[in-house]
Amino acid sequence: MSGTFLPLLVVLLLIALFMRGDFALTLIYLVIGALAAGLRWSIGALAQVQTERHFQTHAFLGEKINVNLHLKNNGWLPVPWLELRETLPVALVGPNNFQSVIHLGPRGEANFEYSVQARKRGYYPIGPLSLSTGDILGLRDSLQRVAEADHLVVYPEIVPFTSLKIPSYSPQGTLRHTLPIFEDPTRVIGKRGYVSGDSLRRIDWKSSAVSGQLQVKVFEPSIALETCIVLNLNADDFYYRNRIDSAELAIVIAASIANWIIENKQLVGIMVNGRDPLAADGRPQTIPPRKGKPHLIRLLETLARVEMTDQSVLVPLIQQQRYQLGWGTTLIVITGKASEELIDELYHAQRSGQNAFLILVGMDASEEASRQRAQTFGIRVFSIASERDLNIWTQKSKQV
Amino acid sequence: MNLKPSAIDVEKKFHLFSYTLVFLMMACVAMTFSILIHSVMPGWHSSIIAGILLFIVIDRLYTYQGLKSITALSSEWFIAYGAQWVVIILLSRFLLSYANGPDALIRDLTLLARGSFADLVTLEFFVTFFLELAIWFLSAQFLELLDEIGLDMKFVLSEEASQFRSEAEPAHQRLVNLIFSVGIGLVILAAMTRIDWSPIVSNITGFPLLQINRFSGGEAGALLYFVFGLALLSLSRLMSLQTHWNRLRIPVSSTNLVRQWAVYSLLFLLTLMIVVSLLPAGDSLGFFAVLGTLLSFLLGVMVFLSQLILAIILLVFSLPFLLFGKSPPLLNQSAPPPLPIMPATSIPPVSNSPFLELMRSVLLWVGLAAIITFAFIQFLRQHDSAFATLRKSRITNWLVLAWQWLYSKVDKTRRLWTQALVDGWQGIVSRLEGKRILPRPAFLNIRSLDPRRRVYFFYLAMIRRGSEQGWKREPSQTPSEYAAQLEKALPSSTEDIDSITKAFVQARYSLHNVNPEDANIVKAIWERIRRALQQKAKDKTAPDR
Repeated sequence: MSGTFLPLLVVLLLIALFMRGDFALTLIYLVIGALAAGLRWSIGALAQVQTERHFQTHAFLGEKINVNLHLKNNGWLPVPWLELRETLPVALVGPNNFQSVIHLGPRGEANFEYSVQARKRGYYPIGPLSLSTGDILGLRDSLQRVAEADHLVVYPEIVPFTSLKIPSYSPQGTLRHTLPIFEDPTRVIGKRGYVSGDSLRRIDWKSSAVSGQLQVKVFEPSIALETCIVLNLNADDFYYRNRIDSAELAIVIAASIANWIIENKQLVGIMVNGRDPLAADGRPQTIPPRKGKPHLIRLLETLARVEMTDQSVLVPLIQQQRYQLGWGTTLIVITGKASEELIDELYHAQRSGQNAFLILVGMDASEEASRQRAQTFGIRVFSIASERDLNIWTQKSKQV
Repeated sequence: MNLKPSAIDVEKKFHLFSYTLVFLMMACVAMTFSILIHSVMPGWHSSIIAGILLFIVIDRLYTYQGLKSITALSSEWFIAYGAQWVVIILLSRFLLSYANGPDALIRDLTLLARGSFADLVTLEFFVTFFLELAIWFLSAQFLELLDEIGLDMKFVLSEEASQFRSEAEPAHQRLVNLIFSVGIGLVILAAMTRIDWSPIVSNITGFPLLQINRFSGGEAGALLYFVFGLALLSLSRLMSLQTHWNRLRIPVSSTNLVRQWAVYSLLFLLTLMIVVSLLPAGDSLGFFAVLGTLLSFLLGVMVFLSQLILAIILLVFSLPFLLFGKSPPLLNQSAPPPLPIMPATSIPPVSNSPFLELMRSVLLWVGLAAIITFAFIQFLRQHDSAFATLRKSRITNWLVLAWQWLYSKVDKTRRLWTQALVDGWQGIVSRLEGKRILPRPAFLNIRSLDPRRRVYFFYLAMIRRGSEQGWKREPSQTPSEYAAQLEKALPSSTEDIDSITKAFVQARYSLHNVNPEDANIVKAIWERIRRALQQKAKDKTAPDR
């Protein structure tokens, strides 16, 4: 409000005293009325404006998302001007945010549509929408209201793997295997004559009756691949020069592996030590191994949201969660660096019947030492320096 | 400069309307000046002066765009403005002369031809010149600010605009300040027009008389000035917002925003004026009248004292003249100061309807209280530092503590009253709903009672009889406790007392049906207890005999 308002009011009141009210009072009414009514109008009008945002809340990388912004004036007071400013992440729209000025009549409505581009995986706020208005005379500063933001989940990139080999010791699954010790009694591939020592349970009595000789069933070996992807997003475990890129690559690998496992109708879970903006304590929830597309979406949502963090060592998380995983579960650890403690922990996991599979992401000078140490303990190690290295898993493998 | 056609169009309209409003506002100022001159100096040509002032305003509006680009204090500037002012001075001088008749004009022209400039500068001309300067300067102030808003917009549409950010107070805010500041002056002038200046003009010792019911016309000028000022503010607000949006490259999606703005502004001002005209002002102001009378009297006393002091000083300075046997130059001319007049009893305005007057008075004072509270809150908001200092002050802390104490007491009292009212109301409601376990005794008919209530009746009869004989049931006692008390007094009726108590508890607190047979059994039990009580009473009275 203008600094001259109070002196004017004082002068008018004094004159009202001397003049017994009269025109000075009329002027007081006029000035105060203009100020108060203008303020009340703008406050009332702003409070009556309702905003709604409609858009597809989940998107895959590269998708274009149309955001529909609907504004409605629920009151009878018109809004002479309403300045709208939508705060949008730079990763989705670049420097140009949505902003506009409108006028809303009594019970008036307005619709806007703008689009954002899912350029990078993440959990992005769409908004908040800042609404500004003010009195028609400009006697007071503009009033502002902030409408809540909605969120958009952009899933990480998924590389379609075709020949990923993940070790498993879980028998009787749906994946074919070469070792006869994993014979699956539900997968009969043929019959042969009885040999002394064959289990009576394997005799096919119907075939034996038909042929007149004892026949035994021959089973196909198979494994069940129960996997837990362990994603290390501790900043210190990535080479500092390409820390961000390496972490993103690690997330892409995790998402791609999860996708491949789910496509093969196997169980997969995830364990991340990053930061989840939706979690109350900031720690992402460990998701136990499950099957199915809905489960994959759940995994991808977690992978879309997680961010790199500091001072969050991976080993205690594995120690805490490993005992809840079944025997024969494969732990796929994706990390930038493999510390001695991590390799020791993976060795303990192997000793207790679980498999360990280490994927080193990015370039690090200590990579060779880690690799040798892991191989000493019988842990398979893969090094992925860039996305191109994933080609080893995208080409059709001759040997299944 | 790449101006958008729509922006240029809007800017042209803005200039047209805003210049019109500035002209109207200046006309209000000129009108107030003219009325004040007429009030103070009735012999002067106030209407001619008003005409000259309006001419200056028109000239200023017309020439401002052309002259503003001239560098200040350059030769071109001196020539342009010098020529303008020569014309203004000559015009005003000869118009004032012509107003006295053609002969006066010829006489003044002769004086001019002879070079007697001093004779041409009369007090009237001097005052007119001063007012011309004032209105010329005021018009320039308004135009500069309006132009600045327009220039700002042109600038933001240019290429280098993105780097420009003004740190100064926005032009619109300065315009608000200017309108209000001029308004303060105009209100004071309008108030002065209601004063009868004839005593002070004819005789220095006179005290100006305030004529309450006199309508001078200056009030209308001040009122219209504010109305036009608010309209100008609305227009300026729109333009400054457009400048702001253009600067930030915010697109305006509503195509009819400007038109709607004009409609809303007009409606807003019209509504405001209608409401203001309906509000009471002046005929129900008892408190104002008292305060005004008091202040007038105090002012009169102060004037009297000052004149007294002046007279004493003059007397002291006159003494040397008396010593030399000469009459003092000033002493004879000065009249003795008049005594301040006691305020006369004001005649209350004739009212058509006392109720209407009361309502208007209530409305007025509620409105005024709201205004003062609003103004005080706004003042505190404006002065955050003062508010913070007040908070730190010990006195304020005490006041706050006192307020909290008072508030807590009032709140406690309110809660107690509320509770009492709720309890009372619930009692009334429960009585109306017949929630008493038994009807009033006066209307009691045992046969008409249902079995449950008959059980109540016999049990309560036992209590009543027991109380009469000295075994009163305390309100805190449960039925079992009272039964134990009574059993001590009537050991022979222990079983009966137990039975009737159990029957009562079952009837009162359970949902089991009470059969008429059960009620009859209770009746029989009660008969036995009654006889026992009667026997006990007889036993008590027997030893006394």
